[in-house]
Amino acid sequence: MTSASDDRTPLELRLPLLEAILPHVAFDGWTETALKMAAEDLNISREMAELAFPRGVIEVLELHFEEADKTLAEKLDEMDIQSMKIRDRITVAVRTRLEQQTPNREVVRRGLATLAMPQNLALGSKALWATSDTMWRAAGDTSTDHNWYTKRMTLSGVYSAVVMYWLNDESEDFADTWAFLDRRIEDVMKIEKAKFQMRKACEKMPSLSGFLGRLRYPTSH
Amino acid sequence: MTDREPVHKPTLEKQTPARPLPGDRDISEQAKRMIRVDHAGEFGAVRIYAGQRAIMGEKHPKAGLLKHMYEQEEVHLERFNKFIRERGVRPTIMAPFWHVVGFALGAGTALMGEKAAMACTQAVEEVIDDHYQHQLDTLDGADPELEEMIEVFQAEEVEHKRIAEEHGAEEAPGYSVLSAAIKAGCKAAIWISKRV
Repeated sequence: MTSASDDRTPLELRLPLLEAILPHVAFDGWTETALKMAAEDLNISREMAELAFPRGVIEVLELHFEEADKTLAEKLDEMDIQSMKIRDRITVAVRTRLEQQTPNREVVRRGLATLAMPQNLALGSKALWATSDTMWRAAGDTSTDHNWYTKRMTLSGVYSAVVMYWLNDESEDFADTWAFLDRRIEDVMKIEKAKFQMRKACEKMPSLSGFLGRLRYPTSH
Repeated sequence: MTDREPVHKPTLEKQTPARPLPGDRDISEQAKRMIRVDHAGEFGAVRIYAGQRAIMGEKHPKAGLLKHMYEQEEVHLERFNKFIRERGVRPTIMAPFWHVVGFALGAGTALMGEKAAMACTQAVEEVIDDHYQHQLDTLDGADPELEEMIEVFQAEEVEHKRIAEEHGAEEAPGYSVLSAAIKAGCKAAIWISKRV
């Protein structure tokens, strides 16, 4: 076989294969054909590629998301976004992610097509969740209660809408996408404001436990 | 493979093998589940004491005692909050539920009387003590940072249990029923919080 000179293990071949598959994905989609061509480009056997990704091309796509999240986290760490306002931190995070993927726009489009298939729905939502988790963690989110979930859910909604817009955006430097992103964040801020006002209104309600406590232990309140 | 001696170590209820078996979760995955359930537990504990304090009031003779235990639980919770942030652990989705249930348990037992409140503390802390011991047995040196924390917290939970016993936990009316019900509830809560 041609792979005689290459003594990398399947594990070490994962990243090179991911890199090699991207140009093919634009034409063939996330398919076994693309993976086979990537293996040919690297001069390794088909079998080695299968050992590197036993579940096939879907695993390459998984790795693609993991790597994208990793590079995003690294970049956001460098940028010191903690000094910005929260809404700016999230805007910057979404924008950075898309800017990093701009050379791969076709790859992302083909990825979404693959993830839309019913057998891949779980992977799609997992990847989306992982990406919003990465963004919120980079933004310094400290919540550990239901807010941990609602924050990620809201951002998943915003991010997926922005990705769809970005895929079809032909404006210069994606100016339309960034405007769209600002409007979506503005929508979220409206909800947050309403929630804040509701919390303030609820604080004024009489406390049931205080009332019961005064009945049960009249001397100690 | 580890270079530790394959000793069989007795745990509280059943023997567990000294080495992982095929199909066991790896230790970092287990540690994440532990952080999730411990965080939920400390969160619940804070809410129980908050419920008791809300009912018994500031000037009750036991108020100082409750405040002391409440503050220690708050420190524990803060530490686990930090673990969740540092290690990217998903917190339990049941938090809003424990928020209400914990407070209701504290307030409910406090309404029954101060001895019932102490019986509640004793039952909860006993389950937590066993639970922490079980985690320490499972980790067995695999995660020193987490184990060190658990050991400190475990000692404080045991202290809470002792305080509760000294203040008449076992003299509460219907003690055995109340205690058994609370223990069963705590074990169910642990089971749920590990998973979701």
